[in-house]
Amino acid sequence: MRQDRIGFLFLTPALIAVVLFYLLPVVMTAVFAFTNMSTSTGIRGGDYMLTEGSLRDLREQGLNEATLSHLADAGYVVDAEGLAALAEAFGAPLAERVEAALGGQSFATGRDLERALRDLRAPEIRMTRDRKRAADLFQRSVLNIRHDTAAALAADLSAAGIPQSEQDPIVEVAYTGWSWTTRNFELLLSLPSTARYAINTLIYVALTLVIFNVGLGLFLAISTFYLPERTAATFRAIWFMPRILPPVLYVLMWKWLMWDNGFLASALAPFGVERINWMMHSEYHAWVAVILINGVVGASFGMIIFASAIKAIPQTMLLASEVDGATRWQQVRFIILPQMRWPILFVTAYQTLSLLASFEYILLSTGGGPGSATEVWAMAAFRTALNNYGGNLQYGMGATFALVLVIIGTALSLLYLRFFNFQALLAKPRIER
Amino acid sequence: MRLVLDGFTKRFGDTTVIDALDLTVEDGEMIALLGPSGCGKSTTLFAIAGLHRVDGGRILFGERDVAQVSAQERNVGIVFQNYALYPHMTVAQNIAFPLRVRGASVADMDRKVREIAGLVQIGELLERKPAQLSGGQQQRVALARALVRKPDVLLLDEPLANLDAKLRMEMRSEIRRVQLETGITAILVTHDQVEAMSMCDRIALMKAGGIVQIAEPAEMYDNPADRYVAGFLGNPPIAFLDAVSDDILRLAGGAALGAAGTLQGLGPIALGVRPEHYGPGKGVPLDGTVIMLETHGREDLFEVELAGGGRLRAILPAGSGVRPGTTVDWGIDMTRVFAFSPEGRRL
Repeated sequence: MRQDRIGFLFLTPALIAVVLFYLLPVVMTAVFAFTNMSTSTGIRGGDYMLTEGSLRDLREQGLNEATLSHLADAGYVVDAEGLAALAEAFGAPLAERVEAALGGQSFATGRDLERALRDLRAPEIRMTRDRKRAADLFQRSVLNIRHDTAAALAADLSAAGIPQSEQDPIVEVAYTGWSWTTRNFELLLSLPSTARYAINTLIYVALTLVIFNVGLGLFLAISTFYLPERTAATFRAIWFMPRILPPVLYVLMWKWLMWDNGFLASALAPFGVERINWMMHSEYHAWVAVILINGVVGASFGMIIFASAIKAIPQTMLLASEVDGATRWQQVRFIILPQMRWPILFVTAYQTLSLLASFEYILLSTGGGPGSATEVWAMAAFRTALNNYGGNLQYGMGATFALVLVIIGTALSLLYLRFFNFQALLAKPRIER
Repeated sequence: MRLVLDGFTKRFGDTTVIDALDLTVEDGEMIALLGPSGCGKSTTLFAIAGLHRVDGGRILFGERDVAQVSAQERNVGIVFQNYALYPHMTVAQNIAFPLRVRGASVADMDRKVREIAGLVQIGELLERKPAQLSGGQQQRVALARALVRKPDVLLLDEPLANLDAKLRMEMRSEIRRVQLETGITAILVTHDQVEAMSMCDRIALMKAGGIVQIAEPAEMYDNPADRYVAGFLGNPPIAFLDAVSDDILRLAGGAALGAAGTLQGLGPIALGVRPEHYGPGKGVPLDGTVIMLETHGREDLFEVELAGGGRLRAILPAGSGVRPGTTVDWGIDMTRVFAFSPEGRRL
């Protein structure tokens, strides 16, 4: 019992880290995914303000025209506040005349008030333009006025003569903060770009994984296994370099290689090959570049895992196969490869998950282009939520993208764990083979 | 098939580990390469298998020199200490592997696998994986795999070292039976003298990359070429006494042993006395004290400190009643004693 507690004590830092850096972000992602948070809503609460835009939305929602025009025009009231402003703009005599003639009256539209003012025949406002300016001073519309609470807006609406029964949708539209919604998911399913991102991700993960992370990794591990130890170590070190290099530098070197005045173009120019941007010339060029750039980094991981797995095969087993008459190729085919099943599965599983979530090399090289030809899911999430041209960062929508990725990743992990039969993988090694 | 090593030389870097070794193994003979670890016996075996490059000399399989031929193209079978079975293949697939890499037909493989599995008595285990077998069964599978393509030579690299004592006894006679039944030429590498003596027709005793003596087991035991051979063979081991030979033969401590005979006037020498040749009523009595007793069940092993210095071992039937501390006057059977020069040469 006490030992259990000590165990937990030692685990605490790890548990805290797991909660802080894994569980919490996942939970937050899930929460954000069900909101319409964006730059315009902010991530805190908002206030209530009706704009021309909200009136358009309300019309689309089918609010009756009478109320709409009431909202748009409502509220020209000759009150003390307006008279004071009038006195300041056109002088006190006019204000006194207006107060005497129209004080306390309401007008449905600006036009009505202007007509009333014209009937006064005051010299200060003989020009139509001046009358209009004077009328505007009495506008008491609810439009473009910031209210801190829904109640405050409702009170103003009542004052403007909007019936109680129609206030709810208006208050809702006027809210400028974020709200709970499932519209992100509907949008995700309906947008054609979603399918594009999904297919791009599939291409990216599958090709990088099969050709490089597993294929090339396996080839390098096996070929270096048959080299003298020193040569093999040198080769592996060379292949490991991209992993040590900062990604920005690494991609910069690829750009130097592939740009239209880069090494490749310059080297081919004397042979009459047109100078093109080998990275971005077409979507095929972009895909080749993206997979090469990711694959050359990714291959070293598999190489290291596979190389150590091959080294773990008892030497005598390989010697026995030689004496049994197996050629090098047969040795690889019948002895080494069958025993690489677990390492291959492990690298496949691990690299699938890391490729699904990674997009930094794509972002740095093609930037998802040309167009969105190489834009993958994780990058779409990043762009939507954190970095796009429009400037309206849609946190909620981005989180929805990310949540889908989290779900796919978790499902794949569970599948792999089952597939791996982790219990067996963690079993004590047998000393005797 | 007759196997000849003619001036076989092996170097690792600048170190010559085996220098011009000659060895002939007759057709159908089983020979042991016996020696302590590091004496070059496994190196020799690996060179015969083609797993080590040969740096000099010839290796003849019959009339064919295979010194520069790759392991794949020599026709040998090998059994390793750890069996080296392929863990992902069934027993049948393991045994069939040498045939499979040569492109044998399925029917042919099946027939040969059943035949050889019957010979080593694992016919009912063919569908199992190596991990499901006991050590002894794995050893039989390894033996079957080595034999399935009827090799010119069967090489056994410490094949019994990983087995427990009881299984080791059983497999010792099994391997010998199979070797005799197939009539195959075989080389056994071991550091265990009992294995070498009980399984092989002849023993090549090795030391520091060379062969010290090649002889049949009984001959080597009864007539060792030098002090090293005498000391290596025999369990419990032989005991050595310092002695002086002038007119008569006496121990270094002074006790006279009798006429010097052919050893006359050689000065300081060493005498080798096997435990079975020292005991009550066996020639000249020598005063001594029993300092240790080991009970082996059927017999007792004594260690005796002689009055004039030196220790001897004696092996007597159980029930002698002699306890440690007892003073004894047992003697040495002088007709069975070996004499060695101070350099270890047999006199």
